[in-house]
Amino acid sequence: MVPQALLQPRPARILVVEDEVLVRALIAEELRLAGFDVIEADRADDALTYIGAGEQVDLVFSDIQTPGSLDGLQLAETLRDKYPDIPVILTSGNAPIRRVGIVEAFVPKPYDVTQTIALMSAILAQKSPGEPL
Amino acid sequence: MSEPCILIVEEELLVRTPLAEYLRECGYLVLEASSAGDARTLLEDGSRRVDIVLAEVKSGEPSGFALASWVRAHLPDTQVVLAGTIATATEKAGDICQEGPALSKPYDHRVVLDYIQRLLAARDRNDRT
Repeated sequence: MVPQALLQPRPARILVVEDEVLVRALIAEELRLAGFDVIEADRADDALTYIGAGEQVDLVFSDIQTPGSLDGLQLAETLRDKYPDIPVILTSGNAPIRRVGIVEAFVPKPYDVTQTIALMSAILAQKSPGEPL
Repeated sequence: MSEPCILIVEEELLVRTPLAEYLRECGYLVLEASSAGDARTLLEDGSRRVDIVLAEVKSGEPSGFALASWVRAHLPDTQVVLAGTIATATEKAGDICQEGPALSKPYDHRVVLDYIQRLLAARDRNDRT
């Protein structure tokens, strides 16, 4: 993003993938209040397109059940193959049935927003120790 | 008093995100919706008063026009700004920014348009490969 690139230090950028607009708006607003740069996508396909366009993303937080050609698990698998430095947290109202071990964490819905943001902060801190979030 | 709130309704993430970021830097609280239907869900939720809806004309079903009619009928204090092209949307965002709570525009809206066009070009290159 043009303006953020000019700011030092750059806040961590979290890409939230959630098709329920009220759920997405809530977590996005809380993340912004916590100082993160937030990208909101309602489809996993769009999230992949965004990253593929060259935009830097520090963490992906995705629902598993998303509309479009990719679900959250397939997004996580693609990111692991193509962008292994981007940690992924998945969330769902249903217990994941396969391959959730490929991601950094799974957060069951309904999730506690404060705890979820703390989890994201911890994963980002682990990824870049010593760097401001 | 809390900052004025704008709801951006734009299907394309690569267009919506830079516009939203631009308006946030102008001091607005910005909500994002990828369709007119999602926009209505946010508006009907009512947990935040929306001052301006900036929507693309063709924002799925219902259309941006239908959303505008609904807003005028149900939320008469909410202003609706419709845009038919990306260039128009960034221009209108620039106009909104000039009226916004921040003292000055962080950068010209044409920078946003250039940025969006670069993102779309990168996406198109990826689609071809």
